[in-house]
Amino acid sequence: MTQPLIRITGLTKTLKGQGEPRAILEGVDLTLHSGESIAVLGRSGSGKSTLLSLLGLFDRADGGQYLLGEQDITRVPERKAAALRSAQFGFVFQRFFLLKHLTAAQNVAMALVNGQGWLPRRKRKARAMAALDQMGIAHLAKHKPPRLSGGEQQRVAIARALVREPRILLADEPTGALDTDTGNIVVEALRSATDRGCGLILVTHDHDHAAKMQRVLHLDHGVLGPAGVHQ
Amino acid sequence: MSGRLRSALIIGGQGIRARKLRTFLSMISLFLGVLGVVAAQAGQVIAQRALVSEMEMTQGKDGTQQVYLPSHESASQIAMDTVKGRADVVALMGTNAIIGEPNLRPLNEGGMPIDSGGGGGMSGAYVTCDAYGNCTDQNPNADMPTGQAIELRVVALTGDVRQFRSLRPQSGQWLDFDSAPQLAPRLVLNKEAAKAFGRYQVPAEMRFAGATAHSTPRFVGVIDDGIGAPQAYVRSDELLNWMPADALSDPRFSQIEVLAAPTATDFVDILRKKFAAIGGDQRLEDQLYVNVINAAEQIPEQIALMRWVFLGVSILVLLIGAAGILNVGLATVGERIEEFALRRAVGTPRLLLAGIVLAETLLTGLLTAGAAIGAGIVGLAAASRLFGDQQPMLKGVAFPWEAGVAGVAAGLIAGVLGGLVPAARAARIPIATVMRA
Repeated sequence: MTQPLIRITGLTKTLKGQGEPRAILEGVDLTLHSGESIAVLGRSGSGKSTLLSLLGLFDRADGGQYLLGEQDITRVPERKAAALRSAQFGFVFQRFFLLKHLTAAQNVAMALVNGQGWLPRRKRKARAMAALDQMGIAHLAKHKPPRLSGGEQQRVAIARALVREPRILLADEPTGALDTDTGNIVVEALRSATDRGCGLILVTHDHDHAAKMQRVLHLDHGVLGPAGVHQ
Repeated sequence: MSGRLRSALIIGGQGIRARKLRTFLSMISLFLGVLGVVAAQAGQVIAQRALVSEMEMTQGKDGTQQVYLPSHESASQIAMDTVKGRADVVALMGTNAIIGEPNLRPLNEGGMPIDSGGGGGMSGAYVTCDAYGNCTDQNPNADMPTGQAIELRVVALTGDVRQFRSLRPQSGQWLDFDSAPQLAPRLVLNKEAAKAFGRYQVPAEMRFAGATAHSTPRFVGVIDDGIGAPQAYVRSDELLNWMPADALSDPRFSQIEVLAAPTATDFVDILRKKFAAIGGDQRLEDQLYVNVINAAEQIPEQIALMRWVFLGVSILVLLIGAAGILNVGLATVGERIEEFALRRAVGTPRLLLAGIVLAETLLTGLLTAGAAIGAGIVGLAAASRLFGDQQPMLKGVAFPWEAGVAGVAAGLIAGVLGGLVPAARAARIPIATVMRA
């Protein structure tokens, strides 16, 4: 097995709202290696999205340790977290979050205009086109989101996630808004990223899609456990 | 330009293009505010320039030394001797003259404006009263019948006075000080004198009190000197062909003024010494009145007050414009929560998100300022064309650059004021918004 990209141990997260504090994650352990794909299954409210938020540095854990490679990023400050999100992570969401006033190519390129380094316009365009080409939708580069189907929009979103060549891809129910066939295409597009050494964590409700990942984990009442290994 | 600044400008520009109508609506109130600032600044600058220009025409340019000599029969000779050969000092020796038919009492006795009546009776210019209030008329023309003759002030110049006073040419030419003096004195009339001679085209014989002979003047040009009474300018050497120098020192009619450049520091001392030498007990040197023209000191308080009132109103309107931007900015941030959360998810720092919103409001402010300045330029050009004839202040007036600077500053200030709160809100949007959507 290769060097772990991510290693989390004993990760906890409690929601402190108006009522009683509610434990969302209780000592989660997880290791992700380069080129590995992991599916996380679980019922609604089981903490899947919270886990992904912590992994993607959108939020901070209350306890435990988070290692990115050999770097401890459990308490990483926000500015550093933004730089890490830009350099190491790609995100795909259930809703595609494409900006309606931009073309598909501009939507992909927006991940390159984030204040983390500067690329000239020509290079941004070339990289966006390459990412769209990778998703097989380069011919839709000039189309704006309202003119694209759901599957096409999600593939634009995946291209946006991959355009910075991240080491880790986090997908939060990316097929939730798609029909089965289109969902399969999207999952295959995500899985293909692992062929290039990218680690993938896919949060899903769909057991068929989960079965296409190398490992399937179950999150139940804040506890993550193995559900089996797919060969 | 740093990558972050470029990113902010690119994304800000995209935001403006995506919401053109909303941007336009937020620009309307701001436009009025910036236009108010531009108009107030332009009005103040134009009024001040007009005032300074008027002062430069009637008194002298800023920094000019103005020296009035004491009444003495040698005053004109002293003045001419002192300024001789100097380019930085000019003497102006004024006296009254009558131009018209011989042996007639002038229509505007005393050199009064041509439409102010006069003629006949005792004329104020020649009346002297003793301590008991007994007045006598010393008018040399008192016994003559009134007829077609014009009395005017003739100012004999030792050099070109336009280096100190901005006389505005109206027609013809100005006096030529480089050529040899001519026997028939060349006169440049002011507008009031030109009006008088336009109305009464009298045979031209010019007579002065104390002149050895009457001369025939030649009118070579007309200027605007800002003086409401008839006046003419003549080369002193051409005038002195016809009269002795001390005739220009007659205390009844004459006044001698010397204008000097700010750099001419020695000549007042020279004048003082010369007057001290002839004055004896009269202490004539103490009667020299020296004034340095200071435009800033002479700007009336009303203009300063008007400026503050305009500025106060403009700031109020500008604040309303900033409130418009703030309102639209907050609504826009509310609408774009997902976009900002997504941008944070792809690695955009909080500071840059705030920068994007500020860039949008600043660009909006700058666009508005550009539009308001453009409207100001067009409006001023139109006002100049339409009302320039009635309002000399507006004639040929150029848009003052100060108003442009004030407009840009107002647009930027409104952009910052209106954008700060939305920018802070945008920076605080949690990324998890996109996960829970």
